[in-house]
Amino acid sequence: MNEKKQQVSRRQFLNYTLTGVGGFMAAGVLVPMLRFAVDPVLQPSSKGDFVNVGLAVEDITSEPQRIEWQVVQEDAWNKSEVTKVAWVFRNDDGEIIAHSPICKHLGCFVTWEGSEDYPNEYFCPCHDGRYYKDGTNVPNTPPMAPLDEYEQRIENGMLYLGDPKPRGEA
Amino acid sequence: MKWIKADLEKYLQEKKYIDTLLVPLLPISFSNDPELTNLAYKTNLLTTLSNELERELAGRLFQTPPYFYLEGTERSKEIERLNEWIMDACKQPFKHTFIVTHDMSWKKNEQALTGTLLWIPSLTSVDPQADEYKTFIRSQVEQLVEFIRSYW
Repeated sequence: MNEKKQQVSRRQFLNYTLTGVGGFMAAGVLVPMLRFAVDPVLQPSSKGDFVNVGLAVEDITSEPQRIEWQVVQEDAWNKSEVTKVAWVFRNDDGEIIAHSPICKHLGCFVTWEGSEDYPNEYFCPCHDGRYYKDGTNVPNTPPMAPLDEYEQRIENGMLYLGDPKPRGEA
Repeated sequence: MKWIKADLEKYLQEKKYIDTLLVPLLPISFSNDPELTNLAYKTNLLTTLSNELERELAGRLFQTPPYFYLEGTERSKEIERLNEWIMDACKQPFKHTFIVTHDMSWKKNEQALTGTLLWIPSLTSVDPQADEYKTFIRSQVEQLVEFIRSYW
């Protein structure tokens, strides 16, 4: 074979280089876009996480029951284990409701049927605040808003709860 | 309510609703080696208990930082200082004062205190991670809530 034929021509050399550089540039633009597209999949699950609260869906009755679970809470300087509380039941439509116990007045914990005088209501021991079973505040008692509801999810027959949200947003 | 900035800001606006003071009473001493772990364990237990109590009754109960006293000092001095502490707090409209402790020796001086002394039985060796510990805290808190409510 002729030695000259094996040499890369000027045209070929330019073609190769431009394709190579162009390819790099295209990849540089496309790869981050691909990452954006699948981003939710890559997110580590930390904030707003759902936690298995150790309650089987089949054990949820129409009677609100108090459940507790532990989460690790981290703020700037402290890492602490915090006990979270919810009142869980099925409403008349068969939907699962998980109420936050925190009274919307000044933040005490309410209890289902916490007062013998008010059956079928949540009762706040601090200033006699009351809520109906669906979480609506009873008029003319101190609270001005309904109880928060936890975000929820069901996996493998177990109840998972997220963050408490004002009613209507959960 | 706790002695932290955010709670105090809320307290200043809503103080007419918050009429109860909770003072955790805790001993400290470095002088007796075998006692150290025991004292720390009880400090931890009472702190957890009063934190939980505060959490349940946050809208009406103000938990002060713990009052520490030197184990084995003369009580009369401590009583005077503790009363001074409480008298100062009562410049705010507090109507009830509850002092919680695991140290039963305070029982003898109960009359001299400006507040209701609550002696709470302690555990001795249950691991704080164990279920027994959590059940204990829960049942104590439930009873304390009932007790405090009876004063309201």
